[in-house]
Amino acid sequence: MDMKNKVLVSVVSAVGLAALVAGCGTVSGASGSNGSSSSNVITIGTLYASTGSYATSSMPEYAGLTFWANQVNAQGGVTLSNGKKEKVKIVSMDDQSNATTATTEYNQLITQDKVNVLVTDFGSVLTAPAVPIAQEHKVVLFDQSGTGSNFFTPTNKYIVLTSLQESTLWADSLAQDLIKNNTKNIAIVYADNDFDGTQNNTVVSQLAKAGIKPMIDESVPTSTSNYTTIVHNIDQKNPGAIIELGYQPNDTAFLQAYKASGVKVPIVFTIFPGQLPAIFESQFGASGLAGVSTYPTPPFINVQNVNYGMNLTQFESAFKSAESSLPGHPTGPINFLDVAGYNTGLIIQHTLESAKSLSQSNLRAAVDTFSGKITTLDGNFQINSEGAQVGEALPTGHFVYQNGKLSMVVDAN
Amino acid sequence: MRKQTTIDLSISLVLVLAFVALPHFYSNLTILFMMAMYMVLSQGVNLLYGLTGYMPFGYVGFFGAGAYGFSIALQHLHFPIVLALIFGVLFTSLVGVILSPLLRLSGAYFAIGNLATSQVIYGIVANSHLQGITGGGDGVDISQYFNQTASYYVMLAVLLVVMVGIIWVKRSSFGLSLQAMRDDSVSVAMSGVNVVRNRMLVWLASAAIAGLCGAIYAWFISFFYPSSVFDVSIGIFAIVFMLFGGQGTIFGPVIGTIILYGIYNVIGVSTPQYFQLAYGVLIVILVMFLPNGVLSLFKRGRRAHGRVLESRPNF
Repeated sequence: MDMKNKVLVSVVSAVGLAALVAGCGTVSGASGSNGSSSSNVITIGTLYASTGSYATSSMPEYAGLTFWANQVNAQGGVTLSNGKKEKVKIVSMDDQSNATTATTEYNQLITQDKVNVLVTDFGSVLTAPAVPIAQEHKVVLFDQSGTGSNFFTPTNKYIVLTSLQESTLWADSLAQDLIKNNTKNIAIVYADNDFDGTQNNTVVSQLAKAGIKPMIDESVPTSTSNYTTIVHNIDQKNPGAIIELGYQPNDTAFLQAYKASGVKVPIVFTIFPGQLPAIFESQFGASGLAGVSTYPTPPFINVQNVNYGMNLTQFESAFKSAESSLPGHPTGPINFLDVAGYNTGLIIQHTLESAKSLSQSNLRAAVDTFSGKITTLDGNFQINSEGAQVGEALPTGHFVYQNGKLSMVVDAN
Repeated sequence: MRKQTTIDLSISLVLVLAFVALPHFYSNLTILFMMAMYMVLSQGVNLLYGLTGYMPFGYVGFFGAGAYGFSIALQHLHFPIVLALIFGVLFTSLVGVILSPLLRLSGAYFAIGNLATSQVIYGIVANSHLQGITGGGDGVDISQYFNQTASYYVMLAVLLVVMVGIIWVKRSSFGLSLQAMRDDSVSVAMSGVNVVRNRMLVWLASAAIAGLCGAIYAWFISFFYPSSVFDVSIGIFAIVFMLFGGQGTIFGPVIGTIILYGIYNVIGVSTPQYFQLAYGVLIVILVMFLPNGVLSLFKRGRRAHGRVLESRPNF
């Protein structure tokens, strides 16, 4: 290139850079600031994954949150502590299950869209990028389902886990169930990520207290899509239980290998059939899930004494009739992640109602005022001093197939 | 030649100064950081592929190794940030040395082998048996060192150094020997050039660039899982940006990153379906009509202009 061309390229690049940067993220932009709302609208910034490995979990959660926003707005909005009603507006961006993209978008929601409330995408991997950014900008992070124990530290005052217990607590009921049944020859296979690794640690340590040592305790890459060899290797040792801890794609791949192998083990446990039963039913049929153990969640668990928001029956009915207006147009029976998204909305709503102002410190302080006092369709909402969820306990249960119908029997609380 | 080098250096300086000024007008530092990071990464790919012809499909392996080397230095060796960055680079270079037998392969075999080794590194880092060192699947939390502003400016400094380095390599006899090796390594070796040493140097330099990027990225986000820093799409983006702008050129990777990463952030985030279609079509058009990248358009224009002048009647 000669000098003339170089100058031309430089000028075009500079103009392009400025134009592109100016245009970044404006498509889903919203007005307002982190400290106050404008135009009587409170902005709720969130991410979702329409594609990629977390899409099947992220989209129902997003639909649940959107459902809550629509419900609140239909009633005129959220009643703030000053008596004023303000509507809510979801400002959302698609991270496509990519943590790098999520990093950019969380920053966009905070610094450009200046949302009043920040809500994470599904799971720990897509929550992790938001944790330091929110802390740095002193924005409260409403963490829907990122249960990684690393997120909750005494130095971080800006995180609240809304819809699931911290992952170290998840496996308590599973371990107690195994101990109670005096299960021998336990084989554990877990995906090497924070969510599954911490559950494995909990099970192993609880079993150790009861004098039980799993005969197999192995990790596999989270990207594992074929468990055939693993299942056959475990079968050689005559297991009494196989505990497979993974994300939904891991659970599907494991159950496929287990069913195809013809191996029969008294207890087979996986996590996600209890949260996303429709997906697993479509993959294995209702009869194919019979006997599979899992963590039953709403709608399998019908929480009693709900004192905030809809109960399960009301939610099922209202959600089904609103399906066509929700992102992803969910069909079929509701699942736990629909409930989790709605529950996050309820926690945000109660926070806004209780807070003295919309400043982030007041929002965070407001959460503490009702922690342990409200019960939603997801259970008793209770956080510890680090913002980790310690209520909303998960029991264990197993699927039963009778008279052409799939149901759940709860084993241990 | 000297004048040309001065112009190239000036443009590089202006580019970096533009990035220094941009945060005053636009506060999403992540987008700016990522753009600068991809420019550096694309230059790293450019160094290896553009000058030697080795396509590193598993380039993200070095990126992830740098991120983990940096984190280990902070968490276990308690190094200060600067030393930890250097450690990250050295650690990545060591990985580069270990993987150097890959250079015995060429073409598609090298590309696939490189991709496979990146996944092997990922598997090793994420393995629960190394949890005490790497954190395994639990990921890495170095949020006590979180400082987006400082990491952004360090990335800009690296961008400037890498640009200067690329300009030097392109103009030097070393760079010419690399390009000659790419075209016919046997003839070059017979001319007295140490092909193996030169290839190794470029391989390690390219690995060090990716490692340094990974280390600064780890500092920038400070909370990550193995899947975040060994995400194959990071390496693929760097390759596509370099190819789009123009392989083997000084500013091709910069132009490619500005255009494609800019488009990605403008429409890719809001309407990923259309974006993927647009990206796919763009790449097909690029391969069919502009195999040497966008910058080749200017070269063509210049040649055509030259032909017009030559054919003009001499009155």
